Amino acid sequence: MSSAVFFSRRQVDIVRIVWMLVALVLAAMTVFPLLWMLMISFKAQAEVFQPVLLPKAPSLKNFIYVLTEVPFVRYLFNSFVVSAAITIIALWFHTMAGYALARLRFPGREAIFLAIFSTFLVSLPVIIVPLFILVRAMGMLDSYAGLIVPAIFNAFGIFLLRQYYLSLPRELEEAAIIDGASYWRIYWSVILPLSRPIVASLAILFFLANWNSFLWPLTVTSNQDLWVVQVGIASFRSQYASSWQYIMAASTIVAAPMLLIFIVFQKQIMESIKTSGLK
Amino acid sequence: MPASHASISTAAATSDPPIAARRAGLTNRQREVLAGYLFIAPDFIGLFVFVGIPMVLALTMGFFDVNGFGQFNFVGLANYQKMLGDTVFWQCLRVTLLYMVLLVPSLYVSGLGLALLVQRSNRFNTVMRSIFFAPQMVSLVVIGLVWQLLSADKVGVLSRGLAALGITGVSLLGSPGFALYTTLLVTVWFLMGFYMLIFIGGLQDIPREYYEAAEIDGAGRVQSFWHITLPLLRPTSFFVLLISLVASVAGSQAFDLIYVMTKGGPANSTSVLIFYVYQQAFQYSAFGYAAAMASIVVVILMLATAVLFLMTRGGRFNYE
Amino acid sequence: MSNDTNMPRGWNRRDILRGSAALGAAGLAGLPLIGNAYAQAKTLNFWNFYAPDSEQPKAQQDWWTKMAADWNAKSETKVELDYLVDYMQGNKLSTSFASGQGPDLFLISPGDFLRYYNGGALLDLTPFIDADVQKDFPDAVMGTRKVDGKIYGVPMEVEPMAFYYSVKAFEDAGLNENDVPKTWDELLELGKKLTTADRYGLLFQTDAGYYQNFTWYPFMWQGGGEFQGADGKSAFNSPATVAALKLWKDAIDSGAAPRQVNAGGFDMVANLGAGYCAIQNCGIWGIAAMKQNAPDTPFGMFKLPIPTGGKYVTVGGGWAFVANAKGKDPDTAGKFIAWALASKEQDSVQRVVDWCTVAKSDMPPRQSAIEAGKAAYGQGELKFFADEVYPGARGEPRLPPEAYKIISDAIQAAQLGGIEPEKAAEDASKQLDAFLATYKGAPML
Repeated sequence: MSSAVFFSRRQVDIVRIVWMLVALVLAAMTVFPLLWMLMISFKAQAEVFQPVLLPKAPSLKNFIYVLTEVPFVRYLFNSFVVSAAITIIALWFHTMAGYALARLRFPGREAIFLAIFSTFLVSLPVIIVPLFILVRAMGMLDSYAGLIVPAIFNAFGIFLLRQYYLSLPRELEEAAIIDGASYWRIYWSVILPLSRPIVASLAILFFLANWNSFLWPLTVTSNQDLWVVQVGIASFRSQYASSWQYIMAASTIVAAPMLLIFIVFQKQIMESIKTSGLK
Repeated sequence: MPASHASISTAAATSDPPIAARRAGLTNRQREVLAGYLFIAPDFIGLFVFVGIPMVLALTMGFFDVNGFGQFNFVGLANYQKMLGDTVFWQCLRVTLLYMVLLVPSLYVSGLGLALLVQRSNRFNTVMRSIFFAPQMVSLVVIGLVWQLLSADKVGVLSRGLAALGITGVSLLGSPGFALYTTLLVTVWFLMGFYMLIFIGGLQDIPREYYEAAEIDGAGRVQSFWHITLPLLRPTSFFVLLISLVASVAGSQAFDLIYVMTKGGPANSTSVLIFYVYQQAFQYSAFGYAAAMASIVVVILMLATAVLFLMTRGGRFNYE
Repeated sequence: MSNDTNMPRGWNRRDILRGSAALGAAGLAGLPLIGNAYAQAKTLNFWNFYAPDSEQPKAQQDWWTKMAADWNAKSETKVELDYLVDYMQGNKLSTSFASGQGPDLFLISPGDFLRYYNGGALLDLTPFIDADVQKDFPDAVMGTRKVDGKIYGVPMEVEPMAFYYSVKAFEDAGLNENDVPKTWDELLELGKKLTTADRYGLLFQTDAGYYQNFTWYPFMWQGGGEFQGADGKSAFNSPATVAALKLWKDAIDSGAAPRQVNAGGFDMVANLGAGYCAIQNCGIWGIAAMKQNAPDTPFGMFKLPIPTGGKYVTVGGGWAFVANAKGKDPDTAGKFIAWALASKEQDSVQRVVDWCTVAKSDMPPRQSAIEAGKAAYGQGELKFFADEVYPGARGEPRLPPEAYKIISDAIQAAQLGGIEPEKAAEDASKQLDAFLATYKGAPML
């Protein structure tokens, strides 16, 4: 952090303070809508749409309702199990694939990469009907398998990991190859440990994406025991009105663990800095 | 390099020599090829089954008249002809392109800007990062509603703010001229934490020594940024541009938020093509027509991606 | 890695394959037999948005579970209620039909009728319903679910549209219930008068969708406008249509009505209840909603005002029970619907009354139910709807999706898009003509 060479101590401090203020202003603007959402969680139904931030008589009624009147804990459990399973399996598959695409030479590698890349261009609304038919034909409707398996396969992680592995210096791997290590051993003992920062980031992103996923879980499950939190939250919408105060309370409950996971994983990312210790 | 029995470095002390492979008579080269296929197999097979096959099926539906109740009639290019004459389709195309052209740079700039702001590892920045990322924790239904409330005509906080600045008579989500920009703002607000995270990863890959060397040579901050940061960020930049491109045209960000906040209105001013595809398929049961338009979405993406590749010279930026 | 090392003597791969194929073919051929063996244990799935796991009011959920329980007690083939999250906006129903497996029983709104009818998904229910009972459903209610005189859906309710106003807003402006507007001009005037710095005077639905179309139609009908002329061509480009579009446009342009509504124009609590507007165009369900969730906002009601030279008409929505023509057991499904809502038995009529007066606040689709529910319809807000609003209600039109979208675009263009009503009507009419030229489905009504 040596910047003392050309700027006086005071100038550096002023600059730093200015930037901190900028960050604070941006943070305030970012958090304001979320604060609003939080406030609605404490309001009564009639107050939800009033353009006043603070609730007249704040109460935990909505939270209690959400946790007791509907099996919300079950939904949280489902979301957690599904997201965790997808994240772990996807990270495993994608690190293998990224490694293979970046480091191993085999015929058809570029063609396979291009094919994988092309799946990037397709999103769920486009393929949902054929995917539904396929999943039903495989007998995975209304099951954890139906929630987990299709969501694992997404080119985003493969692409990012390949990128990352391309930029890793080869020395450690080459040493291992010379020593006769099998490729599995190299993957497991050399590549994976080096991947910690990116895997931590991806873990957050995958978990979050699946935690907030709505369209596919809605389509593939009917049984209430299998509902994930987003489907559960949507059930608070009725024909002519939605119980927005419950929806907000539920969303607050749902967001809290995610925020926690993010804070915890941040440390992981920042601490496992240059494990590519050759730099 | 042929496998050698004599260990050279200490790191090899714990690695198993692949005896089984050598017994089977595979050369090193063959081992590598086999490993390559095996490592890529789970993802490749998975993508093929769960994305590739549905994709092909979905796109071929464009040549059929599918009434959504079991009837499939081959109609060749009729859906595409209908598309060309559909004014709503052209409107959607315009909206999609406008949205893409505005969203991609906005996400890039905000993501990079925030990342630069909070890249240093200290407690203040950890908190800031969590705040900037926080919108991602919340589901889009909730985000849609909260922003609707905030931008409610006349009485919403944002509307009152604009009135205080002297701007009245503007409906943030109800004026065709504004709705798309408001949606854009909300999308950037929602996604900037995600891109910030990716850029932080990229920024941290840049060795501190380069900056230190530059400072010693007398480079100012701006020069450092131009000549060190940006070039070394090229892989990350490419990646960000690519995924934001895909997201803005076909991703859930393009679709979910519009579905929740504006439903394509007012007057089709926020109706991106992917939204119209959804409407046609699920609200009108015109699956064949929807598939034809979905194929146009894919074509747009292919073209845009190709342009991106060309502009960054084939994305060549790897340091091997 | 030889072929035969693990196989019993005499088997080789080819034989295995052949054997499996034969077994497989036999299995597939035998499936229908197995199916028949289980025929007695079928359940019909009824997809709905009320019960059992929804957040709809308890009284509504109870009505549904009781109906299913009553049927199951007396019938071999059971009915199972399946609550669908996001029934109306979601894609579950379309996806299921598109993938070849729609539910046996489900609910549809009139706006969606043609999509399902033209797709061949709806079962003809006429054979299951007594001729007397058929007459018990007025044509204004049943007409939109009939094609060629055959019934394809049985409505469970009628939900007419009217206007609600905030009593407090009226009082603050020195008005009382005698000042409710009777003409369009009066409505606009009143809307402007009640607009303040913190509130809008008037509110119409602004989000595009079936609901917006539904609430706009009566304004066109009041001037004598129609979609289709007797010659089958579009009649949309008419002075009545232009006037109706102009009314909605003027409401916005004059500043009396907002361009954006809270949550949705159908949500009374979010708009009138929150003080966002003083007058709201909403349906009969608003009564229950306001009473339950915005008890501190007293409200009044008035029926739709008419244009000069126009005639009073309002629109009546309401969902209907339908059966899947290709379901597991269409015969029993048809019997169920007839038993539930359209039988001449007392319990059937009572069921309708209970739905419309106890579980919800709606007008019933059957004459006999109106009589049976005399007590409820003789007092309070329901009396107002029964006496003043309902007579003159025309059923929500059924249009094929393309036609619906053309009209929706016209409304949006005029109301929010700044397009002149004449041009919007003309453009829409041309597009309607182009569509009607190739349309081969059931008639629009």
